[in-house]
Amino acid sequence: MAQTMYSKVDEYGFERPTNFDYKLHAEFMEKYMRTLVRRAQRWSTLKGKNKYVKNNKLRRFVRKGVPLDLRSIVWMQVSEAQVLKDASPANYYNIRKTQINNPALIEMIKIDVPRTFPDNINFISQEYLSKQMFNVLATFAHQNSEVGYCQGLNYITGLLLLVTKNEEVSFWLLKVLVENILPKYSVTNMSGLLVDLDVLDELVARFDVDIHRHIRKIGMPWAMVTTKWFICLFCEVLPTETVLRIWDCIFYEGSKIIFRVGLTLIKLHKTEILRTKELSELITCFKDMRNHKEVIDCHQFMINIFKIPGSITDNELQRLRIKYSKTQNQR
Amino acid sequence: MANRSGAAQRPNGTQGKICQFKLVLLGESAVGKSSLVLRFVKGQFHEYQESTIGAAFLTQTVCLDDTTVKFEIWDTAGQERYHSLAPMYYRGAQAAIVVYDITNQDTFGRAKTWVKELQRQASPTIVIALAGNKQDLANKRMVEFEEAQTYADENGLLFMETSAKTALNVNDIFLAIAKKLPKYDQNQGQSGQGQGRRLAEGDQGAKTPGNCCK
Repeated sequence: MAQTMYSKVDEYGFERPTNFDYKLHAEFMEKYMRTLVRRAQRWSTLKGKNKYVKNNKLRRFVRKGVPLDLRSIVWMQVSEAQVLKDASPANYYNIRKTQINNPALIEMIKIDVPRTFPDNINFISQEYLSKQMFNVLATFAHQNSEVGYCQGLNYITGLLLLVTKNEEVSFWLLKVLVENILPKYSVTNMSGLLVDLDVLDELVARFDVDIHRHIRKIGMPWAMVTTKWFICLFCEVLPTETVLRIWDCIFYEGSKIIFRVGLTLIKLHKTEILRTKELSELITCFKDMRNHKEVIDCHQFMINIFKIPGSITDNELQRLRIKYSKTQNQR
Repeated sequence: MANRSGAAQRPNGTQGKICQFKLVLLGESAVGKSSLVLRFVKGQFHEYQESTIGAAFLTQTVCLDDTTVKFEIWDTAGQERYHSLAPMYYRGAQAAIVVYDITNQDTFGRAKTWVKELQRQASPTIVIALAGNKQDLANKRMVEFEEAQTYADENGLLFMETSAKTALNVNDIFLAIAKKLPKYDQNQGQSGQGQGRRLAEGDQGAKTPGNCCK
């Protein structure tokens, strides 16, 4: 483990940021390794055919982190991607075989694949990963013409492939994310994204009026710093391990987790945010969040996301989304 | 900033101006917007530049005669569906670089659409530059230099063919914009749209928060 702790790339092959705090990371990893071992033992006690069926115990387990080697199967189960897969009349490889007759779309995917994680050592050393990414994105685009290909899906697919190491599983997980779990973020007018940016604004206003007022005063639209939160699900925004812990919960509990993470990030950096005096400083403050101790310590961070923002129910989120879809339509 | 740039205090004792401008890059996906910014800001080039989601924010300072010009650069996502987010980046911008790829005629058409949108909806005093990027691939050229030059002349745009890969004309296009931006009539109490913000010596921007960024 010592090797990875001081390596310039993380456990998933991503280059660490230039200002990465290795000492802080080493301290955290020493503690986190023990957590991972303990969690793996706990997961191994789950028995039986229905061991990954959703219930309070499994939800608690997922919130504390799914072991890396179980992520494929657990994500497939709790997100119900497995249900989609089992119910599909054609299997992935048959869907993949169908010719896609949208050359512009294919061209765009072809351009984006080599420039997705170009510095990740896995994508550099294993050429088949790029081929698999192309296959997943092109197959997805073919079977969902409302979305087709949206830039951002390339990053999600890339990380899915790194974690699951399986093209077919990555396809079904991408499909369940885009079509069932997330609102219409990736469709051609990105309507779901515009709505959720407004929802975020209202949640921040309720949650911390000082921060909300400050951000208004500086005049920063949320989209400037949070588009990647929604589109890439924090991929390339937060450290990879933190991202995967967040994804564990998104697959289980849905898109409200994005708001929990967002509000927690904002609250943890309240002092820094209020200290900024102009837009460029504020943008930099958001960019630097990935290097903060509270974010690197993903285990504590995940405890915080369920504590700090208080209650965010599916019903309330639904109500806000309906409210802001109406406002969007009026614009 | 004033001290770091070394431009505010000239050897001959005359005091230089420091101006801050908001600049936005627009254009079709994969024409090289991020690469142009990376070349200008860090002097680097990556064969595979990651696709930009939403927008990226960077700054760079250039010296021009007695003026230090600080660019606040918004590098936007190119894919058409991100279009609805673009106005927040060009609104209030004093300058824009509209980029196309000289090897791809469609991207030139898209650039024209961006220019039209800026002329209609951005600040009336915005300085627009047209960049025909990937000049290093001139043997695969699909957009003639003269065609783009004529279009730029007709629309009052700065125009250069650039190469983020070889660095051709990259600094030049930013400098040309800096030259064209109004810097000399800002000490008359105007700091609104279309005006760069002049910072007094030692002023870190604290007194006029976000003036040029609204």
